[in-house]
Amino acid sequence: MSAPTVTRRQGLAIGAGLLGVLALGLVVDGGRQFVGEIADVVSISYLGSALRFTVPIAFAAMGGIFAEKSGVINIGLEGLLIVGAFSSIATMYALGSDSVPIEPNPWLALLGAILASTLIALLFAIVCIEFKADQIIAGLAVWLIALGAAPFLSVVIWDRRSSPGNVGTFSSISIPGLSSLPGVGQIFEFSPQVLLLLVAVPVSWYLLNRTTFGMWLEASGEDPKSLDTAGVDVRKVRYAGVLLSGVYCGIGGAGWALNVGQFTGTGDTMIDGRGWIGLTAYLIGNYNPVGAFLASFLFAALDALQIELQQIAAYDLSSTLVGIIPYVAVLVVLTFVGRTRMPSAAGEHYDSDE
Amino acid sequence: MSGDGGSGSGSSSSSSSSPSSGDGSGDGGWRERGGATLDRLVDASAAERVAISLASLVFALVVGAVLVFVSGFVAECSSPFIYLPGLGYGCYNPLEMYWTILEGAFGSFTDLGQTLLQTTLLLFTGLSVAVAFRAGLFNIGTQGQMVLGALATAMTVLTVGEFVPDTLVGSLVVIPIGIVVGGFVGGVWGMIPGLMKAYANAHEVITTIMLNFVAAGVAYWLVQVHIGDLASDSVQTEPIPGVARLPASIDGSRFSLIALVGALAIAVGIALLYSRTVIGYDLRTSGIQEAAAEYGGVDAKRNVVTSMTLSGVLGGIAGAIYVTMVQYRWQAGIPPLGFDGIAVSILAGNNPIGVIPAALLFGTLKTGSVAVDLSLGIPNELVEVLRGLIILFIAMPEFFRLLGKHYGFGSEPVATDGGERR
Repeated sequence: MSAPTVTRRQGLAIGAGLLGVLALGLVVDGGRQFVGEIADVVSISYLGSALRFTVPIAFAAMGGIFAEKSGVINIGLEGLLIVGAFSSIATMYALGSDSVPIEPNPWLALLGAILASTLIALLFAIVCIEFKADQIIAGLAVWLIALGAAPFLSVVIWDRRSSPGNVGTFSSISIPGLSSLPGVGQIFEFSPQVLLLLVAVPVSWYLLNRTTFGMWLEASGEDPKSLDTAGVDVRKVRYAGVLLSGVYCGIGGAGWALNVGQFTGTGDTMIDGRGWIGLTAYLIGNYNPVGAFLASFLFAALDALQIELQQIAAYDLSSTLVGIIPYVAVLVVLTFVGRTRMPSAAGEHYDSDE
Repeated sequence: MSGDGGSGSGSSSSSSSSPSSGDGSGDGGWRERGGATLDRLVDASAAERVAISLASLVFALVVGAVLVFVSGFVAECSSPFIYLPGLGYGCYNPLEMYWTILEGAFGSFTDLGQTLLQTTLLLFTGLSVAVAFRAGLFNIGTQGQMVLGALATAMTVLTVGEFVPDTLVGSLVVIPIGIVVGGFVGGVWGMIPGLMKAYANAHEVITTIMLNFVAAGVAYWLVQVHIGDLASDSVQTEPIPGVARLPASIDGSRFSLIALVGALAIAVGIALLYSRTVIGYDLRTSGIQEAAAEYGGVDAKRNVVTSMTLSGVLGGIAGAIYVTMVQYRWQAGIPPLGFDGIAVSILAGNNPIGVIPAALLFGTLKTGSVAVDLSLGIPNELVEVLRGLIILFIAMPEFFRLLGKHYGFGSEPVATDGGERR
């Protein structure tokens, strides 16, 4: 049942996309210097920051896989990430991080984010499963509600659309001994959210491909009728799929916000389209968590690259222009990959007649 | 709500039309979703649609009121309006809020002008979304089309404005040119996801959203680095000359009756296009029933591109009107009128004429919410929440059907389980 991670066609498309983007960079900002700068930037610390950038995208992508495998297309991932990011910072603030940083606080904040995001996912599930809402429109509504509600609540709590200052972040975990090695020591220093991600990817893969629950999910999205005939409640499986997407997005949103210790609610909020990129990432990854992770990492690495390049003061690179590279990359990849095999009953309502 | 309905099942069926996306095309499946939605919307009678829209509106306002009421207990204020034991002091009175919205939107001529100004802009973005939706396409990209259209208009009128006399004749030349260029650029930006949809099968929800981010980035970069007012700290262009500004019709507001009349004319024109012409019929059918349209000799792919382009043109014009009537320059941070357009169109049942009252409603909310923020301290971001809630409720007509049945309406008797299931 396990599909290949990335088909050859898709691999080619990703490669072509990357080359295209690189070419674009060369044309726009001129020459070898760009390549040279990239070579300077790519280092172990860059790898670390690219992985932190992967957190929101990959968690959203994996959440999206669980929902869509079960037959519910959840395009509200962006909204769920926003909810996760906001509620983690709100929880952190409520716990009073103004005082001495307390170690368990970020974890409680993460828990708060998971609860909030899962609650919204539950609402979305009820709307889609009980009230047979159009999933695309309902998902759009989740995004737009979160896009308005998070800044709204931010103004209520902090009097402005963003939280004031740094309310606290995850402190990184380092493996004793190994992390003090010269040169490569940094590899053994992890942000907890990155660690969670690196654990979640294989676990999700196992859950989807090697467990009964994974089989149920697959059947719920492919052939709900036979699953029903086999005596499994399709609705419960779909609820599980959507709720899991809430849990994943809660972790993703909180992981991102607790990286900077702040919620930014201006413009497109600090999530800034990462949920949508996650959605594309799992389409490219062909509904496989490993493929989705790799695609997410690709986009995140681009994003991290543009931040790193910005910080090189001598190099006059337009940050906004480089900032759109991930979105252009998504468009290029989407044009080339186009068709993916989606669960055949995804988006359809299922009624079991009494 | 989630009873154990599925467990006692003997025979079962999938309620949607047909599980026919077996051709392995994922986006085909998504397209069918859009098609099914359209089928349902078309099947529903006009009266039903109006009823669902009104009911959704009422529910959204009620949920919005609850949200405001509850967040009033989190907010701090000097004179709370209510004390609840155990909860503390509540700052926000929802009834007072909705009253203030009405007062703030219609209380004076200036307020009325502001409301009509917002209504005019929302008419354009609402029509933009509706045109795509009518063809079974979700254009989430009106925002980006508007941002680029606005920039194109600003640059055009800044350039052309230098060569025309500062008279009415000059205005008659420069404003139409500006609007045409804005519409053209918006149309090109809308054509891109149309082409990607038709020929690469890339789903337009994702592509248009990505293009929004790209449009915002490109426009920001252009203005900041190349064509903006480089002396200014803000990312903005020079103000457009007076000759390129639409004349204000009401004192204290930049609202221009000309723009409103133009918007209304376009709404009627689009309604006629769809109801009276062959082109309109083709545009609709190729989105809803691609196979049937192809069978009938219609180039469905081309019509997808046409619909998205037309949608983009309207988005671009929305931007042009924003520049020539409201901002008088392009400035970073264009308000999310494109997203509001989605709500306007969905509330209107994607009917070009229905867009008129829906735009007025959102215009009222937008203008009124400013008063709410100023006099009651309730954040006007609330309107964005209401926008999402309205879309959410309209997405689930089944909710109202079940609710109606629960209270004994409808033909079928209330089921023994409380009417929650069929």
